[in-house]
Amino acid sequence: MELEKLLYSTYGFSSFRPGQREVIEEVLKGNNVIALLPTGMGKSMCYQLPAHLLPGSVLIVSPLLSLMQDQVAQLKKMGEKSVVAINSFLKPEDKEKIWSTLGNYRFIFISPEMLVQPFVKKQLQRISISLLVADEAHCISQWGFDFRPDYLRIAEIMPLLNYPQVLALTATATSKVTNEIKKYLNISNPFIYTHPMDRKNLVYDVKRFEDQKEKIGWLKKFVDHCEGPGIVYAGTRKKAEQLALDLTNSGLSASFYHGGMDHQDRIFVQQQFQNGELDWVCSTNAFGMGVHIPNIRHVIHFQLPTSVEGYVQEVGRAGRDGKAALATLLYAEGDEGLLESLVMDELPTVREIREVYANRTEPERLVEQGIVRETALRVIAYWQSRLPLEGTLLQIEELQKEKIKQAEKIRKLVTIDGCIRQYISECFDQHLLDKPENCCVNDGIDYSVFKKRVKKAVKVVPASWKDRLDALLPS
Amino acid sequence: MLFDELLIAIMKAVNRERTISSPFHLIKGKKSGQTIQDIGYYGLYPYFAVMPRLEKRFYDQVVEGLFARGLLQKNEDVIDLTDLALTSQTPKTQLDGWKYRGNEQLFLNRLSLIVQTFSHISQKVNVFDPVVNTEEIQLWVKAYLRKSNFRDRAATAAFKTQLMDSLEEAPVTERHKMILMQRLSGLGSSGLTWEQIAASHGMTPLDVQLFTVETLHAWMQIIEQNRYPLLSMLMEGVIQQSALTESAQRTEKLFARGFALHQIAELRQLKTSTIEDHFVELAMNDPYFDYSSFLSEELYQAIVAVSRKQQTKRLRDIKEKVPEASYFQIRLALAIR
Repeated sequence: MELEKLLYSTYGFSSFRPGQREVIEEVLKGNNVIALLPTGMGKSMCYQLPAHLLPGSVLIVSPLLSLMQDQVAQLKKMGEKSVVAINSFLKPEDKEKIWSTLGNYRFIFISPEMLVQPFVKKQLQRISISLLVADEAHCISQWGFDFRPDYLRIAEIMPLLNYPQVLALTATATSKVTNEIKKYLNISNPFIYTHPMDRKNLVYDVKRFEDQKEKIGWLKKFVDHCEGPGIVYAGTRKKAEQLALDLTNSGLSASFYHGGMDHQDRIFVQQQFQNGELDWVCSTNAFGMGVHIPNIRHVIHFQLPTSVEGYVQEVGRAGRDGKAALATLLYAEGDEGLLESLVMDELPTVREIREVYANRTEPERLVEQGIVRETALRVIAYWQSRLPLEGTLLQIEELQKEKIKQAEKIRKLVTIDGCIRQYISECFDQHLLDKPENCCVNDGIDYSVFKKRVKKAVKVVPASWKDRLDALLPS
Repeated sequence: MLFDELLIAIMKAVNRERTISSPFHLIKGKKSGQTIQDIGYYGLYPYFAVMPRLEKRFYDQVVEGLFARGLLQKNEDVIDLTDLALTSQTPKTQLDGWKYRGNEQLFLNRLSLIVQTFSHISQKVNVFDPVVNTEEIQLWVKAYLRKSNFRDRAATAAFKTQLMDSLEEAPVTERHKMILMQRLSGLGSSGLTWEQIAASHGMTPLDVQLFTVETLHAWMQIIEQNRYPLLSMLMEGVIQQSALTESAQRTEKLFARGFALHQIAELRQLKTSTIEDHFVELAMNDPYFDYSSFLSEELYQAIVAVSRKQQTKRLRDIKEKVPEASYFQIRLALAIR
């Protein structure tokens, strides 16, 4: 009961969510832990609470800058003050201050590329680290859908830090990926906590169409009838913008979101969605992280996602409040074509690999000149330091095959006659123990649990700048 | 000022003398020799760095539009405006890019977070997601709020009054001010994206972005008069003390200590041409700049005479008439005030 008391006194929660207690107990016993917890299950609590009991700092390696910023913001929101984020955007004067007091921080967030800088390594060696957390640990797997080469560098620092205790966290991992996490983080006999992938309150639907026009027609009608909030995932930025425009034009409160937008605009869309000022967001897969909305009722995939892992992560953003939520996958004849190009887009091309190998000294120039994409360069650079040209070409070919396999799994998802829930669990090497009544399109869906849209009273829009100011700062 | 009006205003000044991409660099605030010099030659001070994050593809789209509307005509080398464009009226603008250098963003970020905080705290909501997540801004705003006793409702009221009164004075349209207010966030009223604001006014996203900068410049002029102390504080570090780029300032210091141009290049491990750019920048900004070590009085007079007579600032045209002058000398002569 001690842990519950601490949970309440520190964060004001009266009970743990599934999996948290099991993981925390193992961490406190001093074991290495790999925890597979679905998105939205409070993964970060697994290191937050131990941080209050462990003597040294907790070092959290976070693969994405935006994710790191969000986690820091969330911790601060929960009242944690002893938090620092180390990334390449730090200013020199701030860095100095941080280094001199580094050991005093309870939570130290760091990006993989900072982790391996000689100076940073030295600083980390100086302090006492009780726990190393590898967040989004599936990024370590080159077979995974979200491989980040820099992430493998965590392995480089382990010996320097005297092999600290490790907690690897991820929301999606097949057993293949789990094995890779073990291997690269050099953790033997970890305690592995696997929470069932399956979320009982998610209902899986698939809709097939003749062509794109029919698809968009259905979407407009659907969102007009259904109560949000919801996310519509599109394959490209352009498509996301276009869908948002289509929905706005039919009188719905919708907006788009993608990585190419102005940073402030992205925050605005997130906040509008969070505050219920916006019912629908049409977006690329960039949307989701840092969105903490419990009551998302619909996730619609307008185009096929590129992997089952990605799909599960995206639909997992719906229904975090535990109430029924609908995941609808739209498919039209010919969508495979786009899927193929999206899948291949994620990998470096043969031409890019050759260019980088031919210009060993200044590969960044190739990015500037638009010859090689930045994402491609990151992957090539990693292999370049380990393999000759032929080896890398082979490696990428292998990856390509793997990606195609992943894409095939998605294709299968839209064509199978059997239970989709069961199929998804199998993709993660899990056995489905029991099915909910409202399960999937192939087992029959009871749509009546999803509310019809209630036309809201039109919000009064301020007419002048003074009115707007009054709304912001009411007298 | 609308975005295409901005382009036409710049293009008029450099017509037939600069390339089609030169206005882009000016608007982005590129700190290259050419861009900085052109500001002086052509009096383009208001437009420097007014949209530092402008993307080339959007710029190109607008340029295409100017061709389509018969304001620009085809020319392989340079901007070539039609009579329709040349006779159009350039609207008056409150832009002052050379002075603010894109730092209005710093002012706006501070303002956004302050307004958001006041909005929540005054309505008894103590926890919210900050609309600005740079640590530096957050720390600054925290310090600011602590000084102003921000939990007291009177603090919100005082801030609001000063905001309202000072913005009222800014000589821009009501629409300008509305657009700026739409970028601010508060409890239950999140800020709006450029697309959303543009749609609400039937304008383009680029137009509303430019309107925002124009409003901020006009407003900051008022705030600088120090009659609104709660807002004056937000100006901290917004105006650079020196008109020079940082790199040119370093060159200036070395020059003052007696180093010659090539020595400075060596010391700083920069190309001679870069240091030359710095001298042109110095000449442009300092009316007392001593050019005697680079340029004889006669040569200076000769260059200026040709430029005036031929009505041109194109280096190639001047070089033809004064072949003994180097390109650097010509650029320097044109920059001297």
